[in-house]
Amino acid sequence: MRIKIDHTKCTGCRLCELACSRQHTGSVNPQKSRIGVFIAEDFCLPIIAGPYTEAACNSKGMIIIDGREIDECVVCRASCPAKPVFKEPDTGIPLKCDFCGEPPDPQCVKVCLSGALTVVEEEKGKLYHGISSST
Amino acid sequence: MDGWVGRVLRVNLTEGDCFVEDLDPDTAKAFIGGRGLASKFLFDEVDPKIDPLSPENKLIFATGPLTGSGAITGCRYMVVTKSPLTGCITSSNAGGYFGPALKFAGYDLIIFEGRAPEPAYLSIMDDDVEIKPAQHLWGKSTPETEEIIRLELDDPWKARETHIASIGPAGENLVKIASIMHSGHASGRSGTGAVMGSKNLKAVAVRGTKGITVAGGEGFKEAILAFLDEIKKSPRIGLEARSTYGTWRIIAAMKNRGMLPTRNFQAGFLEGIPEIVDIRRELLVKATSCFACPFGCRRQTRITDPEFEGEGEGPEHETYSQLGPCCGVTDLAAVTKAGYLCNELGIDTISAGGIIACAMELYEKGYIPQKDIPFPIRFGDKYAVVKLVQMIAKREGIGDLLAEGSYRLAEHYGHPEISMTVKKQEMPALHPQGYQGLGLAYATANCGGCHTRSGLRFDKRFEVAGQAALTKADQEYIAVVDSSGLCWNIFGGLLMLEDELLTELELATGVGYTKESMMLAGERTFNLERLFNLKAGVTANDDTLPRRMLEEPVLKGENEGQVVHLAQMLPEYYRLRGWDENGIPTPEKLKQLGLVNEEARVG
Repeated sequence: MRIKIDHTKCTGCRLCELACSRQHTGSVNPQKSRIGVFIAEDFCLPIIAGPYTEAACNSKGMIIIDGREIDECVVCRASCPAKPVFKEPDTGIPLKCDFCGEPPDPQCVKVCLSGALTVVEEEKGKLYHGISSST
Repeated sequence: MDGWVGRVLRVNLTEGDCFVEDLDPDTAKAFIGGRGLASKFLFDEVDPKIDPLSPENKLIFATGPLTGSGAITGCRYMVVTKSPLTGCITSSNAGGYFGPALKFAGYDLIIFEGRAPEPAYLSIMDDDVEIKPAQHLWGKSTPETEEIIRLELDDPWKARETHIASIGPAGENLVKIASIMHSGHASGRSGTGAVMGSKNLKAVAVRGTKGITVAGGEGFKEAILAFLDEIKKSPRIGLEARSTYGTWRIIAAMKNRGMLPTRNFQAGFLEGIPEIVDIRRELLVKATSCFACPFGCRRQTRITDPEFEGEGEGPEHETYSQLGPCCGVTDLAAVTKAGYLCNELGIDTISAGGIIACAMELYEKGYIPQKDIPFPIRFGDKYAVVKLVQMIAKREGIGDLLAEGSYRLAEHYGHPEISMTVKKQEMPALHPQGYQGLGLAYATANCGGCHTRSGLRFDKRFEVAGQAALTKADQEYIAVVDSSGLCWNIFGGLLMLEDELLTELELATGVGYTKESMMLAGERTFNLERLFNLKAGVTANDDTLPRRMLEEPVLKGENEGQVVHLAQMLPEYYRLRGWDENGIPTPEKLKQLGLVNEEARVG
């Protein structure tokens, strides 16, 4: 199972962050969510927390999404020493998506009415880092 | 506490002091939060007779118990103060992410007191609260202000999570219709931005990393999922229409109903209004949402017409209607540009349109002498609208007089009847001559003519009988919506989702709200606001509409020939409210509402 992200449908309501933090911590707090929505004026990109890496990488590249140049660091799923994202704000403990346990029942998908987040069975070659092609 | 954080941040700008107080749980329960709770603080702490732009006035940013709680549309914050436009208590509401950020930082309310000696802004990072110099921000537009503050944080990750409410040049210039802007979301009405400007407060920047707990736990989660399911399926709620067209669907609805105020409310219909599919095709870049809202009615737009280039937010229905048809203009690009300018300079689009329309009528009737204006201002002149918006914000030329609001403008030229205002505030973009109850709601709203103070029950719009009871109940329920931190468009307006609101409110707070106690809290708030206004000098004579609404039958459209029969509704409304014939709440009513101590203060 994978969570497919269609960022063109995301409106930036962040209900996914609320559902995630509610599920994992019992209180609502986007800072403790395992999914985060990167929001610019006309661009919303949900990013799901991936594995923790002990060292920051050196690839400070730019990638192009919808013709917009975005710092790769921004869309990277890793929790790493270089940024305060996907870490508990008070303890620094790294956070990672666990599909809400076994059997998987991702709460973020349940509350997403825009269609930006959907559950799909894995298909090789169609997904890259959870970002679907918009063209 | 659950739902509420239980903390109030008090900022004395004169002394440069910030301190935190505990929120009294009983007061919180009695007034819910947001509009209600902030009105209680203002009533207790501010003499209603003071000059609204003096340091004695207070400016309160208030969230509700459902703001940031995860409740659907729980994103709103209220700005409550004594208005410089109306002289009444006002509460101006905005969405976006600012309200939740304030809760996550650990505060239900911020109360600003006094006046900073120099321009300043407030920075809140959880428990770190600091008043910072803002000389370098003075004169900057609201988007520029946000950008500079974000750059100052010097950490792109923290900047992303920082949410800012600021005033533009209009607020600094004490323009009486100045708004407080947060990323394109406006606390627009009643000149709250001027109060902020009078305090030398340029912006409030908030970042919060704490959590909000709710009492209901699993039950709350289940209720949210059930409500989302209802939203997905219910044709009445209309998720698809709302997310596709946002508030533009209201333009279409008002056009069809002949309720689009035209040429300063002389008519209810204007030829040449674009179809909403064309508006969408012409302007839309992306539909985005406020925090916790699946509807996404915010419009990120771009003007393609080279004459009026730009990019920004809106125009929403009210903006289009007031800067457009109300001024006799239909041109989409020009109106959109005027709307952007209002947002950037920080003025209320509704009042701006109303003032310009009033000026146009005064000019066309020959009441404004040629020497007072730099160019002719006639209905239908789109360039005049775009130019005048800027002149108002900067108080340039006749803009200085327009910045005082249309009532003072029309009075200055000896014809106050041309001002389409209630309690000196411009009426919004639903023409009351097409809807009797709306006329009553405008006339009796505590903040003056406003678009979010009652429900919309179009099926009963021509009936006079029964409107008083409906309006009373709807006004009280809307006070609950505004106090909870939810959105009027979803929980109020056409839908009036009382049961869903009660479920969310009770599961979040767990303090035992029932339908009765919830509605009583709304009535308590409404009456407390009324007491403030009475003390400030408002009388029953102010509970009225412009003469045009009562005597001049509306031209064109479905409602042609209608007037508002206010005199037939108002006495019954007073009686149902438990007010005497002078519009003063009776001691029995105040006792029932638990406002006994407050009564003693009515002078």
